[in-house]
Amino acid sequence: MKKRAIGQSGWLWTSLASVVAFIYFFPVLFIILTAFRSRSDTLATPPKWIFTPTFENFYHIFFRSMANSTEYVATGFHVYFFNSIYISGMSVLLALLIGTIAAYGFSRHPLRGNDTYLFIILTTRMLPPIIVIVPIFLIFRITGLAGTYTGIILMYTAFNLPFSIWMMKSFFDELNTEIEDASRMDGASESSVFFGVCIPQVKAGLAATSVFALILTWNEFLFSLLLTNKLTRTMPPAMARTIGGEINVDYGLLAAMICLFIIPIFLITYLLQNQLLRGVTFGTIKK
Amino acid sequence: MSTIELQHLTKAFGDLIAVDNVSLKVEENEVLCLLGPSGCGKTTTLRMVAGLEVATSGDIFIGNKNVNNLDTRDRNLAMAFQFYALYPSLTVAENLANPLFAENLSSEEVKKKILEVADILQLRDIVNRKPHQLAEGEKQRVAVGRAIIRDPECFLFDEPLSRLDVQLREQMRGQIKEVLSDLKKATVIVTHDQLEALTMATKIAVMRDGLIEQVSSPHDIFAKPNNTFVAGFIGTPQMNILDCNIIEINSSIIKLKILEQEVQIDFITPLNVNKNDSYFIGIRPRSFELVNNNASDNFSGKVDLIENMGSEILVHIKINEFTFRSVQSRSKNLNVGDIINLKPKKGQVHIFNKNGEVIRNE
Repeated sequence: MKKRAIGQSGWLWTSLASVVAFIYFFPVLFIILTAFRSRSDTLATPPKWIFTPTFENFYHIFFRSMANSTEYVATGFHVYFFNSIYISGMSVLLALLIGTIAAYGFSRHPLRGNDTYLFIILTTRMLPPIIVIVPIFLIFRITGLAGTYTGIILMYTAFNLPFSIWMMKSFFDELNTEIEDASRMDGASESSVFFGVCIPQVKAGLAATSVFALILTWNEFLFSLLLTNKLTRTMPPAMARTIGGEINVDYGLLAAMICLFIIPIFLITYLLQNQLLRGVTFGTIKK
Repeated sequence: MSTIELQHLTKAFGDLIAVDNVSLKVEENEVLCLLGPSGCGKTTTLRMVAGLEVATSGDIFIGNKNVNNLDTRDRNLAMAFQFYALYPSLTVAENLANPLFAENLSSEEVKKKILEVADILQLRDIVNRKPHQLAEGEKQRVAVGRAIIRDPECFLFDEPLSRLDVQLREQMRGQIKEVLSDLKKATVIVTHDQLEALTMATKIAVMRDGLIEQVSSPHDIFAKPNNTFVAGFIGTPQMNILDCNIIEINSSIIKLKILEQEVQIDFITPLNVNKNDSYFIGIRPRSFELVNNNASDNFSGKVDLIENMGSEILVHIKINEFTFRSVQSRSKNLNVGDIINLKPKKGQVHIFNKNGEVIRNE
C-alpha cells in the first residue's frame, strides 16, 4: 500500500482520534500510574502527576506484613497467577478443540433439526450465570469437583463452548467446499480433509475465537469465587479478597495487581493481532 | 476399460427429487456433456459419479465395476471443479502434485509429471506462483492440469469454463477438447452453456428437472430434438415454437394453419399426424428463406423490430399479435414496418404433438 501524507483534513481526524483514544485510555493510564505511586501519593487530592515512582506496590503483592507485624510473609499470589493462566489456558484449548470439531460437524454434516440444536446450545448462554450457580455448586459438591482444577476447567469449557461452536461454524460455512471435495478426489481421507485442508484455512478464526474465549475466562469472577478453594483460586477472586472491605482500600496495591493481571492477555492479543484482525473482518471481503 | 454407466440413478433431498431415474452410458474415448438449465440436477449427477454425494437409489458402474459403496478416493477418478478448488496456500506446482501424493511416487517422477502437464497446458512460467497471483484463465488451466496429472479411470468436469470471459472460453474450449482427445478416457462434462456442449462433446445429454430429456450426438440434438424443451434449449437464437392446426394432408405435403395463415409445408416424407388436430410447429430463426411473393408455401408478416447481430440481423416479425424471429443477412436491407414473406426451408421444420414430443418422419 502507498503511504499517504497527512493532509489538512487528515490532521483534523488524527487529532480527533487522539482525543477519543485519550479518553478511552485515561483510566488505564491512571491505574498504571497509581501502581507506581507510594501510598501517600495515591491518596493525595488533587492527584499528583509528578511523583517518585516506587515498586513497593508490586513487592506487596507477593510479600506483605500481616496485622501490625513488621515481618513480611509470602502471600501466595504467584499461585493464583499460575492458576489463572493454567485454568483459562486449558479450558480455552478444550473448548476450541471440542468446539471446532462440533462446528465442522454442524457445518458439513447437518443433522435433521440442525438449527434447533444450535439454538439449544446458544440458550445455555442466555441466562445470567448467577441463576445457575446454586445447582452447579451442588453438583460440584456432590461429585467432588468443587475446589479442583478439573472442576473449574470443565466449568469454563462448558461456558466457552457455545460461543466457540457458533463462531467456528460461521468460519467453516464461509469456506469453499470445493477445495475439500477436490482433496477427496485427490485421495484424502476425511480426517486429512479436516486437519489438512479445513483447519489451515480457518487459522484466523481459531485465533479470534481463542482470544475472545480467553478474555471471557480470564476475567470471570463468579464461578471462580464459588467453585475454587485456596489452592485453585484464580486472580479475580484473589484480588477481591486482597482488597478486603470497603474502607481502607489499598488502591496502589490494587492497581499493581491489575497491571500484572492485564499483561498476559495483552501479550497474547498483541501476538495474535494480525490473525485477529483477519478473523473479525472475515467474510467482509469477497474471495 | 474406461467407461461410466449409470443405471436408474435417483437422488432425493428430502421431498425434492434432484435426479430422477437417470440411466446413461459413457464409452471409452467418449465425452458426454450433461447440459441443462441451472438446478436441473446435472451437477448432482456428476457428484454422485464422483462419490461426493450418495445416491438415494440406482447403480453406478465405473469400468464395469459397481462403485456404489466405494469412497471417493477409491473410485480412481479425476475432477476439475467450477471454482477451480486450488489450495490457496500451495504453489501451482504443489497444487499439481497433490493428486500424486496418494500414488507414492518418487520426487523425480512427480517433478517429471508436473513439467509434462505444465507443458501441455502452458503453465511452465507460473509453476512457482500461488493461486491468488494467477489470472482466471491460468487458474482454470491449473485446475484442468490437476485433473489430468494422474492416470485415472475417467474424467469429470464441473462447469469448467463458466468463470472465463468469452474470448478465453473459446480458446480453452479448443484446448480442453484437444487434451481430452489425447487422453482417450470416458469423460463427463457438466455445463449450462450449449455452445460448450456442442463443441466439446461427442454425446450430449440434455437434462430438465432431474430427468434426461434426450441423449444424442451434438448434431442430432440440434437437428433432431426429441421435444419442445430440447428444441427451445439448444440453438441461438431460440427456435420459434408456434401453435398450428392441420388442414390438409397430401402425402408429405401438409397444409397447416399457423397464426391465422394457411401455409403448405413439405416434410419430405409422410408424417403420422391427423387432420384437424392441433400441434406445435418448430422452426429455427435461421431456417427461413426470404422470398418476394406471397405464395401458399410462405408466411407473410410485418417487421416489428430489428436486432443487430453483427454480420446478420435478427428480425422480429409480427403476425396477428404473435411474434416470431428470423435471422437474415444484413444485405437484405430490411426496415421496421416492411411486409416480408418468409418460406421455411425444406426439411428444417419440426412438428411436435401437444405433449411437446416430436413427430418424426415415418
